[in-house]
Amino acid sequence: MLTYLPKRLGQGLLTVFLTVSVVFLLIRLAPGDPAAAFAGPLATSEELAAVREQFGLDAPIFQQYLIFIGQLFTGNLGTSYSFQAPAMTVVMERLPYTLTLATSSILLAALVAIPLGMWMARRADTGGEVGVNVLTVAGQSMPDFWTGIMLLTAFSVVLPIFPASGFTTWGGLVLPTITVAILQVALISRMVRREMVNNFNSPYLTIARSRGVSERLLTWRYALGNAGIPVFTALGTRFAAMLNGVVVVEVVFGWPGVGSLIVRALETRDYPLIQATVLITALLAVAVQLLIDLAYPLLDPRVRLGKAASV
Amino acid sequence: MSTLTHNEAPPYTAVLEVKNLSVELMTDNGVFKAVDNVSFSIGRGETVTIIGESGSGKSTTAMALLQLLPRDLAVLSGAVRIKGKDVLSDHQTIKKFRGRGLALIPQDPMTALSPVLSIGSQLREAIKITGKVKGKEAIHAKAMELLGQVRIPLVEEQLKKFPHQLSGGMLQRVLIAIALASEPELLVADEPTSALDVTVQAGILDLMLEIQETRGTAILMITHDIGVARLVSDTIHVMQRGRFVESGDARQVVEEPSEEYTRKLLAAVPRLGDWDESMPVEESHV
Repeated sequence: MLTYLPKRLGQGLLTVFLTVSVVFLLIRLAPGDPAAAFAGPLATSEELAAVREQFGLDAPIFQQYLIFIGQLFTGNLGTSYSFQAPAMTVVMERLPYTLTLATSSILLAALVAIPLGMWMARRADTGGEVGVNVLTVAGQSMPDFWTGIMLLTAFSVVLPIFPASGFTTWGGLVLPTITVAILQVALISRMVRREMVNNFNSPYLTIARSRGVSERLLTWRYALGNAGIPVFTALGTRFAAMLNGVVVVEVVFGWPGVGSLIVRALETRDYPLIQATVLITALLAVAVQLLIDLAYPLLDPRVRLGKAASV
Repeated sequence: MSTLTHNEAPPYTAVLEVKNLSVELMTDNGVFKAVDNVSFSIGRGETVTIIGESGSGKSTTAMALLQLLPRDLAVLSGAVRIKGKDVLSDHQTIKKFRGRGLALIPQDPMTALSPVLSIGSQLREAIKITGKVKGKEAIHAKAMELLGQVRIPLVEEQLKKFPHQLSGGMLQRVLIAIALASEPELLVADEPTSALDVTVQAGILDLMLEIQETRGTAILMITHDIGVARLVSDTIHVMQRGRFVESGDARQVVEEPSEEYTRKLLAAVPRLGDWDESMPVEESHV
């Protein structure tokens, strides 16, 4: 543990550093000129040159990169072109919205997918279960922008129950959460089903049954106790992925999170804002992944205790 | 096929009675008759062994009479009575015996316990199921006592351990302790030593025989090992392709086999001794 944690932290920071470096280079290789986007289509070449100088884009890329590295250590990633505010501040203002949506989505997904998967495992290959399984495949196949628009049409337009856009009341959280969760429920419930069925068929379960352990305990204590470990990992990984912004859903619902922010930043070629967003979301993703890895030993004694010498 | 000698003995009360048991398994290639019209019985303190090759149906017989085969994949017919109660016609009946007088010693101890639960919690659970010991302290004391009985050293420490931290031999002792918790009248041992090192096999068999001696437990031993069969059995049934091809007193079956198949099975046992170059190598497809 004493060498593990610093090693994992080092790996995580290296991942973040490589990610931001690659993004730094890629946005500069991509077509589109931030100065032109900022100054507008009628700008003269003198005006464009002035903007480039103001943004520091007239320097060679390598020099810009060195400046960027320096900024990484100070935590100040420059001024956003379009917001005319520190890029980090802009991102941090948006972050709570994405965190809220990701948390509520993963909770809803877990609360639905785990019981659903257990139910499917219990009734594996019966008529009803096959029907539900087909529905989960459908759920996985529906693109989230389409699900989002359908939910908006049904519950904001036809039946005006929930607000159509933004996050001004808690009701505004409902439709985006459902939209994000549907795909996760489809994936996680089938994973729970598969893991549970595997455990139902494992020798230790049959032998526990042979010594009179009740079916209820076999399901919860034995099968779920073992199936829970990979499911927990999957939920954690999905959560980490959502923190990078649930881009499409945020745009559909006008959700003021990191996902809609990065779309805007890309449209305006707002380099500092893109870099700040990527830095923050990469840091978060790495941190969540590290937390999952650290929680793993708590769930699995084989990881916690290792292969001790046998007596 | 010789008849079982104990069938004629009048005061004989069987702990396990199996009559015309057949098991049909639904496989991808159609219905497969794994067990074909098998009958035997085991009395108090008796050991009956079913010996046969892999795929002969011996383990399926054991799993069938314990009602542990998946009900949608295995069709059972015939009669199985444990202490006079029919456990085949109503699948709830077996639940009254599981963990209370009926116990299974599995083939592979390494996969027989849940990897995420400690030895202690799985042993204590088995003690609770009997309903005879109540209260946390008493159950803990009973768990320590049981592990002591199967000669596991440093009991207190072992209870906190998880299955992956123990060797196969130690785990099999734990499983015997779990079986012992049920105060077994019938012990079904499905190849209890075949996954273990030769050096620990004898210890495990000794332990089972000791339980039998002190409790009068009836043992159904499933094995492919003629050495094990000869050592522990009163009666041996030789199984091939789902049928008993030879049945009889253990000594008689081993020393004077009447069937060609039994002779081949006996001949397949590797013997220590001088290497005889002239000996033809027997194929194992007997």
